[in-house]
Amino acid sequence: MADYIKAENINLTFTPPNRRPVTALQDFNLSVDEGEFVSIVGPSGCGKSTFLNVLLGLIPPNTGVMSINGKTVSGPGQDRAMVFQEFGLLPWRTVMDNVGLGQELRGVSKAERRDASQKFIEMVGLAGFENHYPHELSGGMKQRVGIARALVSDPDVLLMDEPFAALDAQTRDIMQAELLRIWQEAKKTVLFVTHQIEEAVYLSDRVIVMTKRPGRTKKLIDIPLARPRDYEMRVTPEFNDLKLQIWNELKDEIDSQGGPVND
Amino acid sequence: MSDMDMPDTGLAPVEPVDDINTPGFWEKNESLFLGFGFIALVIIIWQLVPSVFTLSKGMKLFFATPTMIVGAFGDLIASGKLWPALQFSASAFGLGLGLSIIVALPLGVVMGRSQVLSDMFDPFITAINATPRLVFLPLILIWFGIGMWSVVVVVFIGALFPLLINTYEGVKNADKLLINVVKSYGANEWEINKLVVIPNSLPFIIAGLRLAIGRAVLGVVVAEFFGGSSNGVGVIMVRASGSFQVDVVFAGLILFMAMSLILTGIVRSIEARFSRWRPQQTKSF
Amino acid sequence: MEEEVGKLTFWQTWRRLIIGGIAVILFFLVWEALLTWFIPLNKFVISKPSLIFLGIARDMESGILWRDLLVSGRPLLFGFGAAVLIGIPVGVVMGWRERVGYSLDPLLTALYASPLVAVAPLVIIFFGVGVAGKAILIFVLCVFPFVFNSLAGVRSVDPLLINTVRSFGGKEMDLYRIVIVPTVLPFVIAGARYAIGRGLIGVLVGEFFAASEGVGYRIAWYGDMYVLDRMFGYILVMMVVAILFTEGIRWAERTAFPWRVGM
Repeated sequence: MADYIKAENINLTFTPPNRRPVTALQDFNLSVDEGEFVSIVGPSGCGKSTFLNVLLGLIPPNTGVMSINGKTVSGPGQDRAMVFQEFGLLPWRTVMDNVGLGQELRGVSKAERRDASQKFIEMVGLAGFENHYPHELSGGMKQRVGIARALVSDPDVLLMDEPFAALDAQTRDIMQAELLRIWQEAKKTVLFVTHQIEEAVYLSDRVIVMTKRPGRTKKLIDIPLARPRDYEMRVTPEFNDLKLQIWNELKDEIDSQGGPVND
Repeated sequence: MSDMDMPDTGLAPVEPVDDINTPGFWEKNESLFLGFGFIALVIIIWQLVPSVFTLSKGMKLFFATPTMIVGAFGDLIASGKLWPALQFSASAFGLGLGLSIIVALPLGVVMGRSQVLSDMFDPFITAINATPRLVFLPLILIWFGIGMWSVVVVVFIGALFPLLINTYEGVKNADKLLINVVKSYGANEWEINKLVVIPNSLPFIIAGLRLAIGRAVLGVVVAEFFGGSSNGVGVIMVRASGSFQVDVVFAGLILFMAMSLILTGIVRSIEARFSRWRPQQTKSF
Repeated sequence: MEEEVGKLTFWQTWRRLIIGGIAVILFFLVWEALLTWFIPLNKFVISKPSLIFLGIARDMESGILWRDLLVSGRPLLFGFGAAVLIGIPVGVVMGWRERVGYSLDPLLTALYASPLVAVAPLVIIFFGVGVAGKAILIFVLCVFPFVFNSLAGVRSVDPLLINTVRSFGGKEMDLYRIVIVPTVLPFVIAGARYAIGRGLIGVLVGEFFAASEGVGYRIAWYGDMYVLDRMFGYILVMMVVAILFTEGIRWAERTAFPWRVGM
């Protein structure tokens, strides 16, 4: 279904105390089809994470409409779940209790939660670690918990905010492959924010390049590579062409911003 | 919950500019103004209470206003009683602290480098550290009599443990990797200590010193209070409370508080200087 | 799949206890031996372990030890309890409302830095030599660690965790239950560990100053009468009590808060 996720003319300006107002998003438009895997790349500070938060329902836009499946977003809901860059696991809860968080908040019974959580813990490859605490897990494992947690409440849309940025390169490669496997199985719509062009091309059906702040959609690039994706694809000419395309779009934004990080 | 509503958007902070909403002088120093303003407010209210409320005879005895306290201070200085008492307390403080440094530092280093030794001393250190020093005071009085030495011993015991424990932690904490690096360049035990262990431990030691100072001041007060000597600021205070001179008591209290704050403040700034190379650590007890 | 924290050998877990235990036993043996065979025992200056333990046993038998513990314990309970009930809310509000924190912090820090034991005589005289005066003194000494630690705990609440819970649909009450209380609790317990030490000082100060019973009183009394073996006995008892409290709380912290490694 087209326009499953639709952002229309979103404007968002922050006014932090004692600071100049900051416009994070300006006339931001975006449209995602159901079941698509879409990546968003953009220079630092361009507002891509902010956009995810708007989609999640944590921040209302000043103007514009954010809708999913025709319904306007007005707060967090069961149809969306987020995976965070810094994992966001509750250190005082076991893996099992962390994964069950969403369901617990919706009042699902303990027994049902257990079963559902168990299923997803196994799906992300953490069988046997149900009673471990986050501090006993490696980064990759922690993020798997984050993914399981997001999936358990059976959301329609999975939002991922640079989920693999805190992991080392090898773990990241493994997690990317895992994510694709899980996505094929679970069949969700995924919005994936990243800094890494290679990651974006490897994972997505489409890549959206954002302008520098105030953020706006600059260019949409289709990724016509076959699925399922495998590692060898990363070294093909088509892959590199796509990477270059995206890089050129990004480069303009970074240069005109005066550097990679907009501080 | 104002600060907690704003999610972490990943937005980089923006520099303040001459514009609306930029922080002015008042905003930038808000915490200082609020803090000292509050203290000033408390002092003013305190001063005014006896004039606004009529206090019963009993209360009046206890209510020393700030001006009275300042007056008491003045009297003490003028009567010439303060200076010798201060000298006495300060020397006991200095001696006790100095002795504790002399004992704590070498012992801490040795303990830090030898696991067996630290295991052996551990129960004793834990035991004495957990116990309020006051419990030893009657014993100390029997052994050292009334006079400066009792006070020095109480200060010594109080200051010893934070210094010892912190030195020990600092030494133990010395990065094994760095020690191996230095060893591979042919350093002997002494050089290892000089190049790695001591610089690494310095922030810990200075933090220990800061804690030790607080305990030392407390030690002086406590020892002088309970008959440890016949001289000293604490003795002046305890005699004053006996004769209901509340203003003198408070004057002494503020004197000790000032001493404590100034000394720990100085150590804190030294601490900051020596800790510049360390990654930020959250302050915790 | 990935590594677990290694389990320790028997020797590694118990080594500290064993070596420490041996050191303590050795200490008492040497002490006893010195004063039995090498140095004449001057009963007015020192005592030896055998006499000390005998004295403790006698005091237990006669019931005087238990009575003193009870008498000392009551004001401690009340003062400490009041410190918990008042200190924690004050600290929480200070951490919550930034302005309140700024206003109160310098004053409270200054008070904490002052030797408050110095006001002990005033407090006792004003509130009487009974339980009330002592309890208030103990309260004044105990309250600060709770205030400062609760403050630190509230300030340390991780905004990411708040966001995470909100993103899964958590409301205000959920935030308290799931994030805020578990974050602040370890700080409060650590504060209790400091407070109990100060509380014990309060007990002793109050009793040295004005009492007719109680552990502190008894130590001073035995001291005045030069009954050294009993005095040492009570000092030892006091040390055991102090250790039980402090190490007990430490143990509770380790077991209840396993995720706080290295703090």
